[in-house]
Amino acid sequence: MSSFEPRIVAFLCNWCSYAGADLAGTSRIKYPPNVRTIRVMCSGRINPMFIVNALQEGADGVLISGCHPGDCHYSKGNYYARRRYQVMKNILEYIGIHPDRVRMSWVSAGEGQKFADVINEVIEGIKALGPAEEIRRR
Amino acid sequence: MLLKGSKDVERLKGELESRYSRFDKEIVITTNATCCKLKKSKEVEEAFSRELKKIASTKKINMRLTGCLGFCEIEPIVIINPQGILYREVKPEDVAEIISESVLKDDVVTRLVYTSPSGSAYANKADIPFYKKQLRIVTGNNDIINPTSIEDYIAAGGYSALARVLETMKPDEVTEEIKKSGLRGRGGGGFPTGKKWETCLKAKEEDGVCYVICNADEGDPGAYMDRSLLESNPHSVIEGMIIGSYAIGSNEGYIYVRAEYPLAVEHVRHALQQAEACGCLGDNIMGSGHRFRIRVSRGAGAFVCGESTALMASLEGKVGRPRAKYVHTVERGLWNKPTTLNNVETWSNVPLIINRGAGWFAGIGTKGSKGTKIFSLVGKINNTGLVEVPMGMTLREIIYDIGGGIPQDKKFKAVQTGGPSGGCIPENLLHLPVDFDELSGAGSMMGSGGMIVMDEDTCMVDVARYFINFLKDESCGKCVACREGIKQMLHILERICGGQGKEGDIELLEELGAYCVDTSLCALGATAGNPVITTIKYFRDEYEKHIKEKQCPAGVCKALFQYSISTDDCNGCGACRAKCPVEAITGGKKEAHSIDLSQCIKCGVCFDVCRFDAVKKVPLKGAVL
Amino acid sequence: MINIKINSVPLEVEEGTTILEAAKKGDTPIPTLCHHPALDSFGACRLCVVEIHYGKRVKIVTSCNYEVWDGLEVFTDTDRVRKSRAMTLELLLARCPDVRMIKDLAREYGVKQGRFSEESDNCILCGLCVRICKERMGVGAADFVGRGVDMKIDTPYSRGSDACLACGACVTVCPTGAIDLEKRFSRNEPVPLKSVFNAGMSTKPVIATPFPQAVPNIPVIDSANCVYLRTGGCRTCETFCEAKAIDYDQKDETVEVDVGTIIAATGFDLYNPEEKPEYGYGKYPEVITGLEFERLVSASGPTGGKILINGKEPRKVVFIQCVGSREEGGKREYCSRVCCMYTAKHAHLVKERLKDAEISIFYTDLRAFGKGYEEFVNRVKDEGTTYRRRELNEPIEVTKKKGKLTVTAKGHPALEADMVILATAVVPREDSLELARKLNISLSPDGFFLEAHPKLKPVETLTGGIFLAGCAQGPKDIPDTVSQASGAASRAISILSKDTIMMEAITAAVNEAKCRGCGLCVEICPFNAIELKEINRLGYTVKVASVNEALCKGCGSCSAACLSQAVQQKGFTDTQILEAIRGIV
Repeated sequence: MSSFEPRIVAFLCNWCSYAGADLAGTSRIKYPPNVRTIRVMCSGRINPMFIVNALQEGADGVLISGCHPGDCHYSKGNYYARRRYQVMKNILEYIGIHPDRVRMSWVSAGEGQKFADVINEVIEGIKALGPAEEIRRR
Repeated sequence: MLLKGSKDVERLKGELESRYSRFDKEIVITTNATCCKLKKSKEVEEAFSRELKKIASTKKINMRLTGCLGFCEIEPIVIINPQGILYREVKPEDVAEIISESVLKDDVVTRLVYTSPSGSAYANKADIPFYKKQLRIVTGNNDIINPTSIEDYIAAGGYSALARVLETMKPDEVTEEIKKSGLRGRGGGGFPTGKKWETCLKAKEEDGVCYVICNADEGDPGAYMDRSLLESNPHSVIEGMIIGSYAIGSNEGYIYVRAEYPLAVEHVRHALQQAEACGCLGDNIMGSGHRFRIRVSRGAGAFVCGESTALMASLEGKVGRPRAKYVHTVERGLWNKPTTLNNVETWSNVPLIINRGAGWFAGIGTKGSKGTKIFSLVGKINNTGLVEVPMGMTLREIIYDIGGGIPQDKKFKAVQTGGPSGGCIPENLLHLPVDFDELSGAGSMMGSGGMIVMDEDTCMVDVARYFINFLKDESCGKCVACREGIKQMLHILERICGGQGKEGDIELLEELGAYCVDTSLCALGATAGNPVITTIKYFRDEYEKHIKEKQCPAGVCKALFQYSISTDDCNGCGACRAKCPVEAITGGKKEAHSIDLSQCIKCGVCFDVCRFDAVKKVPLKGAVL
Repeated sequence: MINIKINSVPLEVEEGTTILEAAKKGDTPIPTLCHHPALDSFGACRLCVVEIHYGKRVKIVTSCNYEVWDGLEVFTDTDRVRKSRAMTLELLLARCPDVRMIKDLAREYGVKQGRFSEESDNCILCGLCVRICKERMGVGAADFVGRGVDMKIDTPYSRGSDACLACGACVTVCPTGAIDLEKRFSRNEPVPLKSVFNAGMSTKPVIATPFPQAVPNIPVIDSANCVYLRTGGCRTCETFCEAKAIDYDQKDETVEVDVGTIIAATGFDLYNPEEKPEYGYGKYPEVITGLEFERLVSASGPTGGKILINGKEPRKVVFIQCVGSREEGGKREYCSRVCCMYTAKHAHLVKERLKDAEISIFYTDLRAFGKGYEEFVNRVKDEGTTYRRRELNEPIEVTKKKGKLTVTAKGHPALEADMVILATAVVPREDSLELARKLNISLSPDGFFLEAHPKLKPVETLTGGIFLAGCAQGPKDIPDTVSQASGAASRAISILSKDTIMMEAITAAVNEAKCRGCGLCVEICPFNAIELKEINRLGYTVKVASVNEALCKGCGSCSAACLSQAVQQKGFTDTQILEAIRGIV
């Protein structure tokens, strides 16, 4: 188990979280490479099925990260994302997927360190849960 | 009974006259005036009522309760008509005798008739010197009018003038008549009344609102002519005001009475009610269509509210402070509208002029001052009272012929006319006639008619101090000249009376007096210097004695003399020793007494009590000569 | 028009003019005490008396309330007039021997005290206070009380008045200084209006030009404190404005402007050192901030450039730097950047004005990074200022004993000080978050606006068209601000100077064949960019969604919500993202 390196798919909103991740990079803040990022314009773009898809394709965990409440570049997108995330978590739990496999965070463009902290925390959490076999297709 | 015009008035007069003529005897008692009340004339009236009930007589007897008859010195007065006998200082105990002698019979109770200082007795009112030289055209009706009865007034000819004006004269004709008569204001200003009415009429604006005011705020110490008129014959004032309101086209009038005259207020209010009930006041006076109502407003204890602008401010409900009179109140007065303000006595003269004619009125008096003037003759005078004399009579005649001279044969010193705004006139000017311009020329003024007589025991510096102190209390305080000027004049006079006068004080007083004339805001301040200036002008030596020699020749200023008992004159009766409140007098029986000056408080009781003139006022030891 | 003569000089004036007004027009001085141009004439002081001649008659009248008439002849300086005025002044001098104004006027008229008995009042009963309160302010809190020689000015029952607005009009207008607003007239605390521009160290009137370089450079009425706007009274300023330029009805205008680019240059606030009681700010009046010192030393400031503390020149001056900045683990970890240099400047100015002053500066690190900065600091050190280093995390305290301040820092002897100046931190404005939300830009962790890239894009934000300049983005001094502002301006203009702008094509598009017209996307769109429109599908009229490309911002919320996968964001379609997921994992 100690050699289990989880694969995490992170959906990052372009304006805040993606920029925050970028800042972490330029600031030379180290974080583990387990996270593969997909940039969307807004966290509100994320269709809940993407989360299922990611898990089907072989991800062990999914992270959705958007702007802080009130700061969404498109004003309401992150609110929609949060609501969808809450509903999705319940459904996933219903079908047997541990709710902690899907995480949501708010990271703003200036929070490079915070982004790294969030990643670390998510990875630690998924590591503890082990690989996600339940709905893996490949 | 509603009076619709002169015919009604005539008819009523006729009825009343015949009603009164049915009486065999009439008893006139003066109970309807303040001083008479104080002298217990009411008790005399009650005594008459009691006694008359007891007797059984076929005679028809009328008791008429009148107002002031002018001879205040000998109140309570009882007059028995038709003989015209006047009894003086009547007491309730005297009533029975009067009834039995003069009412039931036609005899005279000699002990109760008036005797002059020289000893002559006069039974008839008409013969008494006090009345003989007077011309009582305004106050004459007081004898036959009960002030609470409008019938008495009408029987005496009242409201006939009003009826004549409303029926036969146009408003400007009324003003012309008043102008022709030469009537001048009796409140002190002496402004031609007709001219005032004319200016007021001209100043009316489009809304036609203007006011009529009667100034009854008589504030001069010692003056009570207006009180007497309002108490004794209120309808004469009211009729005058209604005629005036018709002449200038005013619908609202005010009588501003000082609050200290409760009986006058009562009689005026009663009279107003009666007049309204008869149709002489209200929306349709005597059916003529003229509308006029009068309201009574009371003062609140301020001498300055006798000044016209201060009076109007007080009427408006504001503080009684005068304003500059560069725009006269006839043009902008009460509520900023044209206002005719006249004195009580002035209004009383109006019905007379209408009834008897301007020509008749102008025939009385002098070239510049027409008609009569009522004076309150008070002070060191034998016949204290209210006298009405034609303008032009000399001061000497008034003081000696009518007033009966100085009591106790003391020497005349000065007569103060015009109240605190007037001045003192010395003996050598007693030939001056009472006339607006003559008195002003002597440095005094007629004023509202106060006439205070002073004798050798009056200190003129103290008189000046008294009046300045009065003015200091009554100054409204707005302008620097009056407030500070009078204050400093008083300080100087008090110093002089207190023995601390110094060289230059007289000149400083003259300077302050002239300054007040130039610089004061209203007439109170402007005339404040008059008492001081006239006393300095005519009695400068008294001032100088006070200042240089620290002496008061009249023996009034306590700081400048001390009491001393003359050993030659004192026979040791001990009367003074018994009365001295601080036991400062020592001396055995039949021995000359002496006063311990260190204890003496200068109350003067010993001086008053000594029957042998042994107590003397002597200059202070060490006084500078 | 009316023709009169004043001192034999003819003059033409309008009807209703008083002699005093006419004399003013003719440049003839007449002294007054109880007159005020904004109040009705009172006529109490009697100082303005003049002689008027008509026919043979001569009269003395007060010029303030005598209305002229045609043919009037006035003489303002005759012997009789002078005598009257001299007596008035002599009487007033006896009443108020210590009042400056009366003493001066008395001297002018050759008047000396000595003839009259003296009092010791200081109120001349001119009534200006009563009249301005009643006629102008519409309040009437105090009035004349009593009559004659007992007259004085007082409030009802001599109690502090509730009606008094504590506006200070009576104090301003009193010629002798006899009024004590605090003790006698008002139950309400008189609060002087502090001048914000002078850092609260001076007061300002209700109508004033905000500061010398204000644009436009004209006075402004403080509407919260203006008595007219509060009670409907006063309007005294209108009486004095010759240009009749005062308009009380002006209101704040909200102007809507369509703009293409925005530069956020909203500046900074200063840290309030009252939060650190060890410095004694707010407790001791001798402890001031750097900005307050700037105003003190400025020639246009409250003391005209004199360095005074408690009215006296200080001999020992101590500066303390890094107050509120560089807090390890605290809210403000950053360095405020400008303080080292301005403190050096202040020390230099103190030395220049107070040659014998002893100056010390407590610093932690000296940041003299700019061109000529290090040289200047060395110069200041050579002038005699002592630089004392202290550790950042070690406390420094200011205490006061027997009226003297002492500054104690570890490693240094306790220093006596007459004046202590704190270099307080530059902090972001209180409303930065609110503005950031309005403009759709972000804040960096220290609270200042976030630039797009710390190295490569210092003047841009992540939101297109919005730029930053000055301390709004972070503490900096004037040269740096000017550079940044020039950059922001040129970037802003370059957008506006183009005819067309290239945008990313990531708007949403509707596949009308798939759309079932449910309207979910219409509701969800934050920018109201989608509406339902009618089309003909196989002969039937149906409603389908339609995207307004101009309004669409490209967030993709519609695409996430669509149940039929009909509306898709270009570049971020479901297919594309799913492919990405497949590729990533």
